[in-house]
Amino acid sequence: MASEDLKARFTPEATIGPFYPGAFLTHLPQDLWTVAPLVAHHPQGQPIVLVARFFDSLKRPVPSLVVELWQANAHGRYRHPQDQSAAPLDPQFDGFARVRTSDEGVLRFYTIKPGAHPVRRESAEVRAPHLRLTIFASGIDRLITQLFFDDESSNQSDPVLQSIPDPRVRGRLIARRRRTSGGGEGVGEYEIDVVLRGEDETPFFDDWDG
Amino acid sequence: MNTPDIVQRGGRVLPVVVNDRESEARTPANRLYRIPDAARDPFTPCPPAPFMRAGEHDLTRLAPGRPQASGEAIAITGRILDEDLRPVRRTLVEVWGANAHGRYSHVIDAGRNDAPLDPNFYGFGRLVTDDDGRYQLRTIKPGAYIARTDIGWWRPPHVHFSVVGSGVRLVTQMYFPDEPLNEKDFIFLIVPAADRDRVIGQPAATHAGDRAFRFDIVIRGRFQTPPDLD
Repeated sequence: MASEDLKARFTPEATIGPFYPGAFLTHLPQDLWTVAPLVAHHPQGQPIVLVARFFDSLKRPVPSLVVELWQANAHGRYRHPQDQSAAPLDPQFDGFARVRTSDEGVLRFYTIKPGAHPVRRESAEVRAPHLRLTIFASGIDRLITQLFFDDESSNQSDPVLQSIPDPRVRGRLIARRRRTSGGGEGVGEYEIDVVLRGEDETPFFDDWDG
Repeated sequence: MNTPDIVQRGGRVLPVVVNDRESEARTPANRLYRIPDAARDPFTPCPPAPFMRAGEHDLTRLAPGRPQASGEAIAITGRILDEDLRPVRRTLVEVWGANAHGRYSHVIDAGRNDAPLDPNFYGFGRLVTDDDGRYQLRTIKPGAYIARTDIGWWRPPHVHFSVVGSGVRLVTQMYFPDEPLNEKDFIFLIVPAADRDRVIGQPAATHAGDRAFRFDIVIRGRFQTPPDLD
């Protein structure tokens, strides 16, 4: 039938496998605070470093895990053609990075703290500052989740965070600010453990239609 | 908020690849959480425009004028479409694969694979789709390789594809037709039987003398709507 022919049949997803080329990391931004080596410009906002440790079901660190980060700028605006927000763009901030965990399963990501923003321009619901993670690794297909900050009161009304009923599970998406910053003077350092499977498993989201 | 409705309309439980220790240890056991409809927005990761230029569509040479890599040069062409079958324009496509001997140019493959490196093949490239969502690339047909010697698990020849742009994200693997190893590969077999033809390149008319395969990609997701970039 013609209508059947026209119906999309989606291409199944697959793992990146163990041999993801390192060049694909260096071809894209890895540090959103440093615009380029020796360049004096920086994006607007509070510089932060996120230290995320990734674990598997046996609590082993997960090395060579690739994370694509996506976030709003300090004003809560995404550099995306569909963001109709009135908030300003930042010439020094694109909001996309691709980074990889170390052999110890640790990711250090330098960026600025994203601003809060309404879900859509006319929306009454406000998204708390958050980072959007797309996660790839050998053995898994694409995983997505969002990480929040423990010093933001707007977490209490964030519609994504609060859609998780169990507060303990919700807490696994909230990065904790360290008292002493190892990220440099004036840099807010946040840490979080991401558990792919098992006890204290991090919640992941589904962006497919139901 | 916290309505039972949201909880009940949970997302998928992700399948685990049989005999794959990494899949067993890393695939979330819990059901995925559906993003509440009211909180869904169309903002999916969008690599900055300055990085969306790439002309590395010929993997068979390290640079123009350099010797051609060993093995059979093949062409892979296709279109990238969204779920409404509209072209995904000017989006970044990254491809990678093993050489003709089944060896990756990757440090992780160095300690476990006796097959030789090819000095003329790195096995990765990047390109950008045109206004019709079309792409074409030239590479070497990858060799099969053994993934687990203890259970005799061979990976059939395959090319990895990644598509990333404003509104789309997909990573998949393209297999080749008529490869007996396909039906024994646990990663191929996790694809539902009805969808397996979606990940097999289809024989096509030769392209500039190379054997050619057609591999069209349809990307899923209601909010993965590719807008025009300019």
